[in-house]
Amino acid sequence: MNNDTNFKRYLKLDLLPTPWCPGCGNGIVLKTICQAFDELDLPKNGTVVVSGIGCAGRSAGFFDLDSVHTAHGRAIPVAEGIKYANDALNVVVVSGDGDLIGIGGNHLFQAIRRNTNITVICYANEIYAMTGGQVSPITPHNTKTLTTPNGNPDRPADIQFLFKSNNCFFARTTAYHLNHMRKCIVEALKFKGFSFVEARTMCIVNYGRRLGYKNSNEMLLHYKEFYKINDYAEALAENEIGIIKSAPRSSDGFPSA
Amino acid sequence: MTKQLFQGNQAITMAAEVAGLKFFAGYPITPASEIIHELVNKKHIKVLQMEDEIASINAIIGASLAGLKAMTATSGPGFSLMQESIGLAHMMEVPLVIVNVQRVGPSTGMPTLPAQGDVIQCIHGSHGDYFPIVFYPNSVSELYKYTIMAFNAAEESLSPVILLSDGFISHLYETIIPDRNFDIKNRTRPPLGAGNRHFTGLSHEDSVPKTSDVDNYRRLITRLHEKQQLTAQRYNYYEYLECSKDTDTLLISYGALSRIAYYFKNDFALYRPIRLFPIVEEIKIIASRYKRILIMEMNTGQYAHEIERILHREVEFIPILGGCIDLNEIKQKLYEQRY
Ligand SMILES: Cc1ncc(C[n+]2csc(CCOP(=O)(O)OP(=O)(O)O)c2C)c(N)n1
Ligand code: SF4
Repeated sequence: MNNDTNFKRYLKLDLLPTPWCPGCGNGIVLKTICQAFDELDLPKNGTVVVSGIGCAGRSAGFFDLDSVHTAHGRAIPVAEGIKYANDALNVVVVSGDGDLIGIGGNHLFQAIRRNTNITVICYANEIYAMTGGQVSPITPHNTKTLTTPNGNPDRPADIQFLFKSNNCFFARTTAYHLNHMRKCIVEALKFKGFSFVEARTMCIVNYGRRLGYKNSNEMLLHYKEFYKINDYAEALAENEIGIIKSAPRSSDGFPSA
Repeated sequence: MTKQLFQGNQAITMAAEVAGLKFFAGYPITPASEIIHELVNKKHIKVLQMEDEIASINAIIGASLAGLKAMTATSGPGFSLMQESIGLAHMMEVPLVIVNVQRVGPSTGMPTLPAQGDVIQCIHGSHGDYFPIVFYPNSVSELYKYTIMAFNAAEESLSPVILLSDGFISHLYETIIPDRNFDIKNRTRPPLGAGNRHFTGLSHEDSVPKTSDVDNYRRLITRLHEKQQLTAQRYNYYEYLECSKDTDTLLISYGALSRIAYYFKNDFALYRPIRLFPIVEEIKIIASRYKRILIMEMNTGQYAHEIERILHREVEFIPILGGCIDLNEIKQKLYEQRY
C-alpha cells in the first residue's frame, strides 16, 4: 500500500511545494485524504473541496478538483450551500481547529443539527498556527501559547458529544496512526449524514517547538505513546482515538395530533 | 395582464422567481421577513433559514458556485454581519442578489421604521476596494422590475448586487402588473464539480493564489473595477423631471423619500438615482444646469457627500431622520433652506 501513488491524481502536483513549514503535519493529512478518496475512487468531477482560513485551509488549493477557499470560519455554511444546491456532489471540508471549532463553531453546531450530508476533516493542531501560535479551542489546559503565557486557563473543547446529540459521525485520529486516519476518513466519506474527523497533527513551528519538542518527529512519537485506538466506543477518553458508535436515530420531532 | 395588489416584499419574491431564483438562505429580521415567508411556499426554490446572516450569505455563495441563482434578504444588522463575505463574493466573482430592507440604525435602532442609513455601507462595508452595483427603487412596481435587473446585473458582472429597499416601500401595498416578459440573463460559468478551479478570497490569477505579487494584485483589482463599470453602464437607471417653472434648483432624493419629492415638482427640478452605485454619470450634465443642488435623504448626508465628490461642488443637504416622512416638516425645511 505504501508504494501506491494513485492518490496523486487528486493533487495539483505542479503547484507543489505547499506553503507549509518543513516538518508540518498538514501534508500527512492532505495525503491521507487523497488516499481515502482513491480508496473510494471518488469521481474528480463530482467532488468539491471547501476550506476556511489558516495553514490547514490552504490545502484546498492543492486538490485537483473544484475547490473553494472561503472566509475564516465559513467553510461549513459554504459547503452546505453547495450540497443543498446539488445533492449529487461529494462535498468535503478541510480546515483547522480554530477555523471550524472556534470562529466557525456555531456553524458546526448547526450543521450537526441539520445533519447535512457533508464530510469535515479538521487538521487539529491545537493552535492558531497561521497567526503565530495563539490558544485554540482545543489547546490543552495549562499549555503556554502566545496569548496564554501563563498556561491555558481553560479546558479544551471535547466536541464528540455534540455529534452524539444528532447521531452524526465523529472520529478522532492522529498523524502517527496513518492507517487509522485513512480508515476514519473513508468511513466518514461513506457516512450518510454529517461526518467529522478530528485529525491531530503537528505544528512544529508555532506550537511544538515552544513546548520543548525538538522536531516534529518527537511530536509524532508523543501521539504514538499517548493515544490508544478504541474504535466504536460509546465515547472517547482524553487519550483515546477512534470512531464513536452511532446510536439509532431518536424519533424525529413531535408526533402530529 | 391585469393589475393586482401586492406588498413590496412580495413583489421582490415574485420578481426573483421570474429572474430564475433557485436558492434562498436567510435569517428573520424586520422589515425583511416577509421575503422568506413568501419564498418557503414556492415549489422550485430551495429555502434555508440559517443560524445567522453570516451563514446565510455563505450558503448562497456556495449555492451560486454550485450553479443556482441565489439570493438573501435582510436589514441593517444582518447586512453588517454579511460584510466580510460580500468582499469574498467580489473576490471570487460570485453572482448573488442581496436585498437590504433598511430600518433605523445604528444598532437595533428603531426596527419597524424606515431609514436610508446603509447607503455607504453598500460600497464600503467590507474591507478593501470593491465596486458593487446597487439599485434602490421607490415603489412596489419598481421593486419588481429592479429585482429582475439585480439578478441580471449579477449574472453579467459575476458579482453580488445589492437591492436596497426600506421599511416603507417594502411594506407598501400597490397595484402592479407582474410582467413576465423580461430578458433574463443566464449563468455563464459551469457549476462546481466540473473541473479543477480554485475559488479563493486570496489575491489570485487563474485559480492560483498569489499572496505577495503586487503587479498581479493591481491587475486583478483593475480588471474587477472595469468589469463592474462596464456592466453598470447597461443599467443606467435614474429619473429626471424638469420643472414646468423656471427654477435654479435641482432636488435630489431616492427610495421612500423620493415619493414625497414629487409633491414639489412645480417648484424644483427633480433627480432620483435608481442605480445608486456606481453613480450614474448623467448627474454631472443634469446638475450643470442648476445653480443650487439640494439633497434630502434619511441619513446624515451619505449620498450628499458622494454627489459632492463627483460634481466637485458644494450641495445643500436636508437630513430627514428618525424614520418619519412628514410633508409639513419637509415643506418647511425645503422652503426655509431657500431664504
Ligand atoms: C475574520 C478573521 N479573523 C482573523 C483572521 C486571522 N486568522 C487567519 S488564520 C487564523 C487562525 C487559524 O487557525 P486554525 O484554524 O486552527 O488553522 P491553522 O493555521 O492552525 O492551520 C486567524 C485567526 C482572519 N483571517 N479572519
Ligand atoms: S506554522 Fe505550523 S501549521 Fe503552519 S505550516 Fe508551519 S508548522 Fe504547519
